[in-house]
Amino acid sequence: MTDSWRLPPVWVALVAVVLIVCAELGGASMVRFKVELTRWARGAMLARPAVHRLVGVRDVDERILDEALVKFDAALRLFHLHAEGMGLVILATTTVAATLARGPRARGVIIALLTAGGAGYPLGYLLWAWLIPHRGIEEGKTIAEWLVWIPFGGATIVALWWLAGLVALRLVRR
Amino acid sequence: MTRALAILALALAPAAASAHHVGTYTPKDNEVTTNFKQVKFSVQAKKFEVALRLFDEGALRAEMRARTAALPAGLEAGTRTALEAGDGAEVERGLMIFFAALARDLALEGDRQLADPSLAPEARAALGPRFLEATWRYYNLIDFAVATRDDKTSVAMRLAFDEAEGYAKKAGAPEGTGLRDALRRIAEILAQLIDTSSTFARRDR
Repeated sequence: MTDSWRLPPVWVALVAVVLIVCAELGGASMVRFKVELTRWARGAMLARPAVHRLVGVRDVDERILDEALVKFDAALRLFHLHAEGMGLVILATTTVAATLARGPRARGVIIALLTAGGAGYPLGYLLWAWLIPHRGIEEGKTIAEWLVWIPFGGATIVALWWLAGLVALRLVRR
Repeated sequence: MTRALAILALALAPAAASAHHVGTYTPKDNEVTTNFKQVKFSVQAKKFEVALRLFDEGALRAEMRARTAALPAGLEAGTRTALEAGDGAEVERGLMIFFAALARDLALEGDRQLADPSLAPEARAALGPRFLEATWRYYNLIDFAVATRDDKTSVAMRLAFDEAEGYAKKAGAPEGTGLRDALRRIAEILAQLIDTSSTFARRDR
């Protein structure tokens, strides 16, 4: 094992930093435009009563709208948190891969999977936030799951297990 | 070996990737139920001047006024008079009647909407539980007051709700009459409660 850490490619660092910047912008926008975002989501939901199964009775509908707005807010928060966290995860894990994965092909694939997966996964929450007013909480979640969370989250997990296996293998072979 | 690790990772990934958390939702009080709790707790603490101010300025009184036609005559004025007089039991009775009326109207509206033959099965399946939940949310606030005045009504309501919940689980079925019957039963019990509680100032048991 080499004594010094190797850096991942510069484009990986750029993706990670941009992701963290997006997270901070998202967090700041949530605070600055809280009222506007809530108003937009509420308006979009009221324009689609069938999607949200609104019944035209305030005592029933307010509860439905409130739940959707809480989930909308949660989706934006989760984007902020995951984008911040995954930016750091990309930097840390690709550094480990660059240092400890020996084969250039395996190293390249692992770094690509970690970067793409880490950068894509948080966008699923942003997509879900947008889908909640348009498609409802559950349908929006299903779409975000299949379009973003499963492929990108899956890519990260595949790469992490792969990397963990390679590191363990190196330990055994020492 | 590297290939084997990659295959293993691929096999384990999808299940874990979809197991993300998206938070949970806890229903909040609306303006009316919030104001009800404020007034109720002020009355329980015997702070009637505070309760009167909260009643005068809050959503409870505004809602009572908006629904005057569906409520027993003089309910809002009677509740206010009781607050001024510091009569806690009478305030409780007024509020009990009001929330019983809100719950009754929701049960009736649920029954009316479920009667729509053009309703899709999924819409029907969603509609029943939502009306039931909204009805229970109001009734639950007064169940203690109902039970202390008329325990038979309280038990009858709980049984009717249990029955309705059972039907709500299969409300998507085209016939769906069980849930409608249960909602009508709830509305009848509440209407009777309103009637008897409004006729007599206090029920002697």
